Amino acid sequence: MDLEMGKPVPETQPWSEKFWAGTKQGKLLIQVCKDCKSKIFYPRRFCPECWSGNLDWIEASGKATVLTFSTAYDMVEPKFADELPYTIAYVALKEGIRMMTRIVECKPEDIKFDMEVEVVFHEREGFFLPYFRPVKR
Amino acid sequence: MSKGRIAIIGIGEVPTANRPERTQWDIIYDTCMEAVRDSGLSKNDIEGVISVTPQAQPKIAAELSFGKLPEELGLKGCKDTVSVNAGGASTSNSLRLAEQWINSGVAKTVLVQHVTVHSTVPIPDLINFFAKAGVDLQWEYPYGTTYNIIMGLIANRYMYESGCTPEQMASVVTALRSWAAKDPNSFFYGKDVPSVEKVLASALLNTPLHKRESNVLGDGGCAMVVVSAEDAKKMKRPAAYKLGDSVRYFSGTCVMRDFKKVEEGFRITAKEAMSQAGITKNDISLWNCYLAYPLAHPVVAEWLEVAPPGQGGKYFLEGRMSFGGDIPWSTIGDAPGRGHTGSGVSAACYVETVRQLMGKAGERQVKNCKYVYQNAGGGSGFNNIATIWGKEI
Repeated sequence: MDLEMGKPVPETQPWSEKFWAGTKQGKLLIQVCKDCKSKIFYPRRFCPECWSGNLDWIEASGKATVLTFSTAYDMVEPKFADELPYTIAYVALKEGIRMMTRIVECKPEDIKFDMEVEVVFHEREGFFLPYFRPVKR
Repeated sequence: MSKGRIAIIGIGEVPTANRPERTQWDIIYDTCMEAVRDSGLSKNDIEGVISVTPQAQPKIAAELSFGKLPEELGLKGCKDTVSVNAGGASTSNSLRLAEQWINSGVAKTVLVQHVTVHSTVPIPDLINFFAKAGVDLQWEYPYGTTYNIIMGLIANRYMYESGCTPEQMASVVTALRSWAAKDPNSFFYGKDVPSVEKVLASALLNTPLHKRESNVLGDGGCAMVVVSAEDAKKMKRPAAYKLGDSVRYFSGTCVMRDFKKVEEGFRITAKEAMSQAGITKNDISLWNCYLAYPLAHPVVAEWLEVAPPGQGGKYFLEGRMSFGGDIPWSTIGDAPGRGHTGSGVSAACYVETVRQLMGKAGERQVKNCKYVYQNAGGGSGFNNIATIWGKEI
């Protein structure tokens, strides 16, 4: 097998396609259960709380805080080496869900725990990945 | 899962090392024959064979899954064979299956084995495999995450909340390697133990993880012979008796893993396993933790109440978990000390647990080793299995 060098795009499922369609329009969508009112991330075929199939979407505010982060300097896959250094983070959205993302538009040393960030979409082969950047005051 | 249902009465192991001329079947022959001889039984007494599924090695995984081992080794009494795959939790599950086979009458004597040879796997295949295993391909992988980064995310938050310093974190490597230096089956046997300064001077891979805080992939393998506790007692040979087993599932996807739920899972599984064994933490002779990365050890020491809250790193820096310290901890040095054999590190840890309880651990022998806490987890940490093993029922 050869080394896979193309940058990966999300391997979607039928029930997550609306999420990715939203990102193309600059919207961060969250799946919600119309029966038990749960906010669901990542998107599922049925609600993981009550197994209802009565699901819908709301647009998130795009605001979040940095729960934790790690800045990579080396030993990533060769396909990502041209982007080093980059920072991976878990962010907590105001809507109560957690996502993995990249923190961009700031120096790694300026990233802090619990820092307020906002979504910004980065295009890769037709997909718009939700990254986050510091909120400008 | 009840007290004293099974015991391990024989072990076999080869040194962890990158020796491509040593094939997977070389290792299987050597470890299985050594384990059976160590048990005092003969090859035809083995009635069941359970293999820990090797990761990133599809050919040997298929051969083992489809029944070749008993035929290759001429195990004439074998009634059934199977492979078990739960990543790093495979060995725990292999032992549970052995327990079920023994208690249900499928087999009286079960051979559990693991083999991994990374050194002949093409580097692109290894990179492609380990980049994606245990990482969600929709919600994590596209961002460029790695196992190292996942560990960095956990460690950074822990250091932020606890005040654990980089020096304290680095001292975990020193502690684990101090055991490895005394382990003839380790990659680092007889080698210098890196100082805290040396660990911190190594390249920063991703915050807060330095190169010397990551793992070296290696080839290795081991085997264990399992019988009922009753049979082990009758045989009057050194044995490790399983006394407790508790597990909690966390999440398959790293980002979905709630830190508090993981903490509670580690705490409750330890308590439940010790309760089944009828002991408390003060009875534990050895905390044989399998956590894969050194950065996870201080926080787990706190969750297991071996170190007070916020002092896990301090304990390691003081040398309390090092060879010669007062808290015997991960006496093969976990994956950073032994060398990373994929799903096999937990198998090696179980063999060490047995070795310690049998009194065969040489320089690393824990004095009066009576009860061992042995944990394992799979994937990027989807669960924690806590087990208690004892020298006697």
